[in-house]
Amino acid sequence: MRRPQPYWKDVEVGQELSGFSLEITPRRVFLNVSGSQDWYPVHFDLSFARKAGHPDLFMSTGFLQAALVRVITDWMGDDGFLRRLRFEMRRQQRPGDTMVCRGRVTAKYESDGQGWIELDVWAENEREGITTPGQAWVILPRQGD
Amino acid sequence: MADGYDIEAVRQKYIGFETAPVRGRYPVEHDPIRRHCHMVDDNNPLFLDPQYAATTPHGAVLCPHSGWLALYFASLGPWPAVFEPLFPIVPTLGKRIANMGQEVEWFGRIKVGDHLSVRRRIVDVYQKAISLDPEAVWIVAEAIITNQRDETVCVIRNTLLTHRTPEEVAAARGQEEGSPQ
Repeated sequence: MRRPQPYWKDVEVGQELSGFSLEITPRRVFLNVSGSQDWYPVHFDLSFARKAGHPDLFMSTGFLQAALVRVITDWMGDDGFLRRLRFEMRRQQRPGDTMVCRGRVTAKYESDGQGWIELDVWAENEREGITTPGQAWVILPRQGD
Repeated sequence: MADGYDIEAVRQKYIGFETAPVRGRYPVEHDPIRRHCHMVDDNNPLFLDPQYAATTPHGAVLCPHSGWLALYFASLGPWPAVFEPLFPIVPTLGKRIANMGQEVEWFGRIKVGDHLSVRRRIVDVYQKAISLDPEAVWIVAEAIITNQRDETVCVIRNTLLTHRTPEEVAAARGQEEGSPQ
């Protein structure tokens, strides 16, 4: 059975994307390295991270990007197309944090005959607030396309 | 200026520099996608289940819309498993790095079986102080990812911060204070 498919006409500005949360456990730290193949030691070697001046390990850009992309692709269905994503690594997700990822529709318009949706997406935690703000541009199918 | 580092000379030499295209060692494969999804508990069957993906208009498993993963498939890969800085060619004062942001623009979907290539270009290099290093060097670079049909599938713009350790900053400050005026 196919996953639910949102259509452009049904989306409303202000609509929330459900998002998800992940505990940053030691297991998640290892999954970060395995899944991103980012071998830079600041993501798994505490002494290396501290020598660089950081208080702790922190999760990688590949990890945060995968999380923000999941917020969007969980919502946009099989036929949605993520046209553009930008995000900033302003603060860190560290072991012990609960990372919460969310999104919200900020604009909706037609351009070049396609139905565009603009989103704010972000990762946050209780310690730092929003750590990774981002914006995304998604093309959704119009019913009957 | 620490250790005679000349940011203007670096900017003149490296901004606009573009690498030759490099073809990924392997085609886009299921298992790196599975590991990537597993990292964030992403159970989207379009990325994981060939039988499900065959029922969609795409006809095959898609690579998630991650610039990071696209670059992984387009690069030589971590074999041998050593860390390679994203842009080792630009001289910097410090060797510690942190990605500060990324922007990915997508022009097409990537499917399992595609074979990606990448060429990279340096867009900007500048110095901007951070709390850890008053002379941190920032590198903005683009990676242009193409598929086996020479179609551009995405362009990734990455902002990389390079900095010294607190020990290195203190040592450089000590050298400057001890140097003749």
